[in-house]
Amino acid sequence: MLILTRKIGEGIILGDDIRIAVLEIRGKQIRIGIEAPPNVVVLREEIYQRIQEENLQAAGVRDVDLKEIANLFKTKKANEPGSTENSG
Amino acid sequence: MSPDPQKTPAEPASTTIATKHFGQIVVREDQIITFSPGLLGFSELHRYILIEHGQESPFLWLQCVDQPDLAFVVIDPLFVLPNYQIGPLNGVQKELDLKNPHDLKILVILTIPPGHPQDMTANLMGPLLINLANRRGKQLVLESSPYSHKHPVIKR
Repeated sequence: MLILTRKIGEGIILGDDIRIAVLEIRGKQIRIGIEAPPNVVVLREEIYQRIQEENLQAAGVRDVDLKEIANLFKTKKANEPGSTENSG
Repeated sequence: MSPDPQKTPAEPASTTIATKHFGQIVVREDQIITFSPGLLGFSELHRYILIEHGQESPFLWLQCVDQPDLAFVVIDPLFVLPNYQIGPLNGVQKELDLKNPHDLKILVILTIPPGHPQDMTANLMGPLLINLANRRGKQLVLESSPYSHKHPVIKR
């Protein structure tokens, strides 16, 4: 890992179009500003990991399980008429 | 003069793709949704198509065009949570070049544990936004929202 020391107001450039700046230090917390193009994903690490892990798990879906659950919804639908009508 | 069957310029371009769940299927170029960046964890894969699961089924398959065995089950989040709202779109509108709000399709990915489909959850924290007009998509992450990435779909 590259380690750099920065003062408040100073920045770091990643590639041609990403800038990270230290904005404020308050006790144990540091406020960081990030400028990046829209196609770059910028997220808190723990949130990124949570969604990534969920996507990976979701990708392992089996057709047989979906069929079973779809059948369950069919019967559910029959019992609760109109309950699933939503406009998207 | 009979038309040459090799040349049908009026038809939109189509390609045959391999899939794990559906075998070989023919996909028209105008059905392909491009996610840029790709879904988190699958950033190299951008092209997907939506396939209906069945007439009476609320589910859709999001099948990757470039990787046969990659497919997600997705659903309209309002089916899971009738008052689901993603909040202000901010920059996403621009990113997807969304001109008419009616062109926006929102879907959420379902996680269906193998052998325990009744324990399936919906990722309400990471919805998929698709502009139906230009078929551009993005997985949005709602960082400061009350929604869970593992919202139970079936209440007991």
